[in-house]
Parts: sequence; structure tokens; C-alpha cells
Amino acid sequence: MRMFHLLVLCLCILGGSIGCKKSDDGLKVYNIASTSEVKGMDPIYAGDLYSSEEVGRVYEGLLEYHYLKRPYILVPNLAQEMPQVSRDGLTYTFKIKKGVLFQDNECFQNSKGRELVAEDFVYSLKRLADPKLQSLGWWLLDGRIAGLNEWRDKHANLDVVNYDEVVEGIKTIDSHTVQFKLVKPYPQFLYALAMPFTFVVAKEAVEYYKKEFLNHPVGTGPFQLSVFTQSNTIVYFKNPTFRDKFFPSDVDFTLANSELSKDAGKKLPLVDKIVVNIMIESQPRWLVFQKGDLDYISIPKDNFDTAVTPNKELAPDLLAKGIRLEITPQLDVTYIAFNHDLPIFKNVRLRRALSLAYDVNKSNTLFYNDTALPAQSVVPPGIAGHIPNFVNGFRGPDIELAKKELQEAGYPDGKGLPEITYDITASTVSMQMADFFKARMAEVGVNIKVRTNSWPELENRIQNRTVMMWGIAWGADYPDAENFLQLLYGANKTPGPNGSGYSNPEFDLMYKEASVMQDSPERTAIYENMNKLIASEMPWIFGVHRQQFSLKQSWLKNFIPSDFTTGRCQYVNIDKSEKENLVKSKF
Amino acid sequence: MNIYIYIIRRLAYLIPVLLGVCLIIFLLFNVVAGDPTAVLLGKHPTAKQMAELRHELGIDKPMVYQYLDIVKSAFTFDFGRSWATKQQISSMLKRGALPSLTVSVPAFVLATILAISISLLVAYFRGKFIDKAVVFVCVMLMSISSLVYILFGQWALAYHLGVFEIAGYDEGFPNFIPYVLLPILIWVVISVGPDVRFYRTVMLDEIYQDYVRTARAKGVGEKMILFKHVLKNAMIPIVTFVIIRIPFLILGALLIESFFSIPGLGGITLKAINNNDFPVIKAMTVLSAVAYMVFSVVTDVVYTVVDPRVRLK
Repeated sequence: MRMFHLLVLCLCILGGSIGCKKSDDGLKVYNIASTSEVKGMDPIYAGDLYSSEEVGRVYEGLLEYHYLKRPYILVPNLAQEMPQVSRDGLTYTFKIKKGVLFQDNECFQNSKGRELVAEDFVYSLKRLADPKLQSLGWWLLDGRIAGLNEWRDKHANLDVVNYDEVVEGIKTIDSHTVQFKLVKPYPQFLYALAMPFTFVVAKEAVEYYKKEFLNHPVGTGPFQLSVFTQSNTIVYFKNPTFRDKFFPSDVDFTLANSELSKDAGKKLPLVDKIVVNIMIESQPRWLVFQKGDLDYISIPKDNFDTAVTPNKELAPDLLAKGIRLEITPQLDVTYIAFNHDLPIFKNVRLRRALSLAYDVNKSNTLFYNDTALPAQSVVPPGIAGHIPNFVNGFRGPDIELAKKELQEAGYPDGKGLPEITYDITASTVSMQMADFFKARMAEVGVNIKVRTNSWPELENRIQNRTVMMWGIAWGADYPDAENFLQLLYGANKTPGPNGSGYSNPEFDLMYKEASVMQDSPERTAIYENMNKLIASEMPWIFGVHRQQFSLKQSWLKNFIPSDFTTGRCQYVNIDKSEKENLVKSKF
Repeated sequence: MNIYIYIIRRLAYLIPVLLGVCLIIFLLFNVVAGDPTAVLLGKHPTAKQMAELRHELGIDKPMVYQYLDIVKSAFTFDFGRSWATKQQISSMLKRGALPSLTVSVPAFVLATILAISISLLVAYFRGKFIDKAVVFVCVMLMSISSLVYILFGQWALAYHLGVFEIAGYDEGFPNFIPYVLLPILIWVVISVGPDVRFYRTVMLDEIYQDYVRTARAKGVGEKMILFKHVLKNAMIPIVTFVIIRIPFLILGALLIESFFSIPGLGGITLKAINNNDFPVIKAMTVLSAVAYMVFSVVTDVVYTVVDPRVRLK
């Protein structure tokens, strides 16, 4: 009998717990999934997509990308207006908005967030340069701001970093004006100020939470962190002290999606709560989305054929649920790199031959569900420097031409060419891609040996120059072709971003010239020439520019996919009644 | 020998074992792993920044000091912060252990009870249809990849039938229960096949012993023989098999936790290896070694309880 009572008790607890999901009491909740754990919420470590997205919910910078306009343009965020730039392009003066408050937090006096002042930007940028913190965003300011490198070097060997010491290039003019002095023209500087690395933090919070600051974000942003479990759930609520910021109304809504006009001019943020579910595996993410518990997802590779028809349209069963398909080209490029330190890869004809032997179209079909755009050169579509309709004559597949080039290179039918090691990371897709590459090269008589590595192993091999060829990709840090062209600039060789070690004096000269020019037709012309030069030189085997195929529920409003997702959650809206009706009837 | 002296002596062996483990960790890190700074600094490292980071991490110190640092953290259990995430390692372990245990402990207990019960049943019906059928089912269960159970369970039981949650985790009792039911069920299904086969072999080894024949000759009933005599004598291998697996329950199960979005410790070591996150690798290796040693001692002590003939020396 006692056993029976125990059993009944257990069943009661079980039954009760199954129905114990928390309700949201009429709040507009934006439910999303993150496909990776979030390391922390300190802006200076927001070097990956996932951390920077979370950082952007709480923190803000001087500038941001306009939510609706394309190509991407920068607009003021915490700045009152775009900066005044001196004639020599070296001094940037920003007026910052008045009345902006840090979120209420116990680190402040009486737990009330204080007003943001210009000194906060000086502190935040020094923190980015602090040698003891080893931020991931130092590269943005390294060698750019007057006196900052000297300040950093001086403190590298001291026990305590003195933030009160004045740095010539970052100073306040008054309580709401901050001025930056550069050592040489840096046209990408404004992009740097829209990146999470430079977002503003409060000194009080950093000093109060010390090393735990990364788990206690205190910003000026639209959302306030409520729950942060690194590998489970992150919950935010609308920041009650957020300033008056409104949904943009400075676009022609007849040209844009008319749905967007409904929220034009409304105070941000538009949702009350954000729930980020960490879901690393694609199957549960896909099923949870189909149940209506996630508001949007990128279509997992394995579910692509279920979601999208061969005509690249949404599958009828998903359409019936009101789900919408969004296709967005990404600012990225995939490629197979050559190690240019090796004498064999200094032979341009060999590089061309291998590129011609590689079937990029088949690779697109096999590994990207035929959704990507084959890359003709290094700069992706959507930014100045990309040449529409340009066709690279050395891109495969063209086996006959590949064989001819191989012969010209001095390796007829691959004879005399040593076995080439192709390094990859140990993932299933990488291995499949490597097998495909190996088979294509075999068609022209080139022997490939595939070697798998963990990511740190591959990185170390690249650093130590013990690689021959390897597959890799690059995503834009900001929408400027310079961010892609720098991958081939001679001075950026390893450990810099030019991992392949390519060096071409003609290219380097053009890069140097363009790197100090503001955006202009002249600079675009130089970028295009560099792009063409690279296309003929084939320092890599070009892969594809990927496109993101994502699905959104019909109740999710104003959602526009972007390459720069930081802070965009404040613009989306949820139609609660539409969601309730659809979930009841269709899900 | 006094049991307490035995325990103290065995635990004292931990010191040379830990020193050896530290040496292995040190060699692996310095010989195999290579320089972690390029990975840790992200997309744009510079040679100067890499050198600065090496200094901050203490990996530019002389080798002896680096080894001593490892020894110090192994004996103080102060592993510092993760290089990759900057999180306190002790907090990471605390946060992850509970979700792992909420799945692994009930699943392990259920699977063990179920497997021992089934193996007793098949021992009773040894050589008959039920025995053969159970062995067949066990081999079948073992032959199917655990991924199949997970994918099918999520799709059929959670998504289509709606009996369970698809994925996720809610902290606190009883909030977590709906999220762990399906993972537990799948864990049990995955474990029961190999467990039954092992326990069945142990039971059958015992059932052909002389004392069983004697008991039968004396007219003792078959159930009494199984439950009172066979089970008791089979306890030594069962105890070894069960107790030595207990410390690893805290580490959870990589696939199950990953697919069900349970924020446990299942993938912590693998992630650390992928990120060259040496402090986490060090912590997990040292803790696993200590747990293994401690539970070996526990196993020995439990032997004396289940079998009074065993003497500790």
C-alpha cells in the first residue's frame, strides 16, 4: 500500500510538472535560437557572431547600420549626428545624445543608472586597448589612434593599467562631446564604431563586477538581461529607462515592404521580451520552429529539401502555416587557399590549372543545395568593388583547359607534381568537401592527400606554415571591400589575416593607395582593378558567396535578415493575436 | 586490516597518480597541442599580441614552472578561468553538473534496475524462448545507432505525438522534469541492451555453480535460488560494473545533451579540445582521475559489504 501511495505521488509530480510551462502574461515575446553557446557579454570579447548578437541587445555604440536601407549605410545611434571630420580626415568629433541612461543596476549609486557621458567612450576604447585584457577587437584600433599604441605598450609591462592617463587621440571636449585623432586616414574607422567591440560600457559596472563583468552586462541598450545561462537560455526584458528611439520612417515604404510602414515612427523596442534558446543541433531547432515555438530560423542543410522546392520556393505545407521564406546574399567568400611560401604555388599556371579542374557548380549543388553564388573573385556582391557580370576565365570546371594549363605549368598530366596535402577541420561536411576536391583533382592527374585537424591544429599549421592547401571562409566585419582585399595584402601575412601568404607588389601598391581613401568612385575603381588582378592571379581557388535561406513565422513583423545583426532585435515586432490564432488552427 | 587505514592508504596513492596525470597533461599540452594564442585571439591576431597573450597566460614561463602550475591547480582544485570563454571553471562545472545529473542519475538507476530484473528473468528461463527473444532484442537494440533513437524519439514522440518536450531545459524542481523525460527514456533504451547481456552472463556464470546444484538438491525453490543465492553471489561483478560508472554520470552524455539542448557537462571536454582551452582540459582530466580513484576505493569497500568473505589488504 505504501508503494502504491509513493507511485501516485510520483505520477502527480510528473503530471503537474508537464503542465508547468511558464506563461508570459500578455507580453510580446520574441523567441529565437542560437546555434552556439554564448561565451559572455563583454563587448571587447564579442569576436564571434553569437556573442556580438547578444552584446548588441544590451550595449550600444556611437553608430549603427540603418535598419532598412541597402546597401548598408551608417546612421547615428548614441551619437547625436554623424561626426564632424577635419579636412585632413584625421580628426572625428562626435556629439553624443543627452539624457541617455545606463540601465538600472546595483553597481550604480542607489541602483539607478546614471547618464551616459563622453568620458564613457574614452574609458571603453581604452579598455579595448588594455594589454592586460587582451581584447579580440584591438586590431580595429591598432596603429590607428594617436598615442593609443604608446599607452598600451607602456602598460604592457606594468602591474596596473592607468586609465586616467590622457591619450592624445581619445579625449573629451565637454561632457557630451568626444574627439578621436587618427595617426593616418582610416576610412573604415566609422565602421569600427558600429561594431560591438567599441560599444560603450560603464566604468562602475566593470569595477563592481570585476572578472564577472562578462556575465553582468550593463549598457544603454533596448533590452536588459534577466537570465544568462551560457549553454541553455538567455532572457531579456525591455529596458524601462531606454531613451526615445523610434522605428525609421525616412524610407519610401511604397518601395519597401508595406508591412514595415505600420511601425514607422513607433518607439523602440517593439517587443517586451526576448528568449534566446541555445540549440546546437539542427533537428530539434527545426522541429521546435515547426511547432511555432521559434519565430525564425536559418533552414538547416538537412531540412532544405523539405522546406524549399527545386524552384527555390517555400514548400506548400509550410506556406499553409503562414511561414515565409527570406533569401539573403551574405557578405562572405569561401575558398581553398594555397600556401604561397611553397615554391610550387608560386607557379600561377599551376594555381590556374587546379582552379579550372575544380567544379564549383557541382560543389554548390552538393554542399549548399545550389543556393550559393559561385565566386568570380574575392569581393562579394553587395559592396563597392564587386564587378557584376564579371566572369573569371580560370574558374572550373574546364578539364581540357586545366590539363593545358598544367602542361604549361610544367606538370603534364600531373607528372612531376608532388602529392599535395589538403588540410581540413574534422567535420562531416568538410570531409565530404575534401573527398569531392580530391576526386576532381584526380581527373587531371593531381594527387591529393586529405588531412583532418581540429580547428586549433589547422590554425597552428597555418601559423607554422606546415600546410599546402586548406579550405576556409571569410565573413565581412564591415561592408567594405577592404575587409576582403586585406586577406591578400602582403603586409598582412601570418599571423595576420593573409594566411595564404600571397604577395604581389602591384596588388599591394593599389591596396595601400585605396586603404587611406574615403568611399568614392576613384576608390571603387581601384577596388575593381584589384579584384580583376586577383581573378587572373588565382591566389586561391574561389568557392562561393553563400546565401542565407531563413524561415520566419507570419506573426514576426519587420524581420529583415542582415549581415550585421547587432542591435536589430529592437526593430522586430510580434503580432500576438495572429500568433495565437495560427498556433491554434495550423500548428 | 582496519577499513579506515585501508581507505587512507588507497587515497594516499592519489598523490603519485595525480603527479603522473599532471605530467601527462603537461606533455600533451606542450608537445601535441601547440600554441593556443592564434585561436584565442580570433580572426585578426598579430605576432605582438600573440606574444603578449602568451605572457598573460603564463605559457612563456620555463617548463618547470608550467608543470608546477599544473600540479598546484590539481592539488588545490583551483583551475582558474577558461581561456576560451573567460568563465570561472568551477562555476562552469557547478552550472553544468546539475542538469547532467538530472538526466544521468534517473536514467542510470532505471536502466540498472531494469537490466538486472530482465537478466534475472532470462536466467530463470535460460535456453528457452524468452531467453532467446530477450537476447535477440538486446542485440537489436545495441545494433542501432543511438542517434537513431534520439532523432526518432524527438520526431515521433515529441513532435508528432506531443507526449514530450522536443528540446530545452528549465532550471529548478519540478520545472526540469518535462525536459528530461524523453532523454531518460532514450538513455534507458540505449543502455538496456548491453547491460542485460552483461548481467545475464554474470547470472548464468553463477547459476551453474555447485552451490546452486546443492540448493536444488535440498529442494530450494528456483525463485529462492535466483533471488537469495544467485543474485547475492553475482553482486561482486555487478557492484564493480555499477560503481565505477557513477563518477562519469556527472559528465552526462554528449549526444543526448546536445540534441536535447540540456546545458550539462556532456560536451565540455570536447569543446575545450576544439578551442585549445587548456585550463578546462586540465580540470576535466584531473577531476576524472580523482573520481576514478575515489570510486575504485568505494568499490573495494562495498565488496566487503556484499561479500563478507572479502578482506581488504
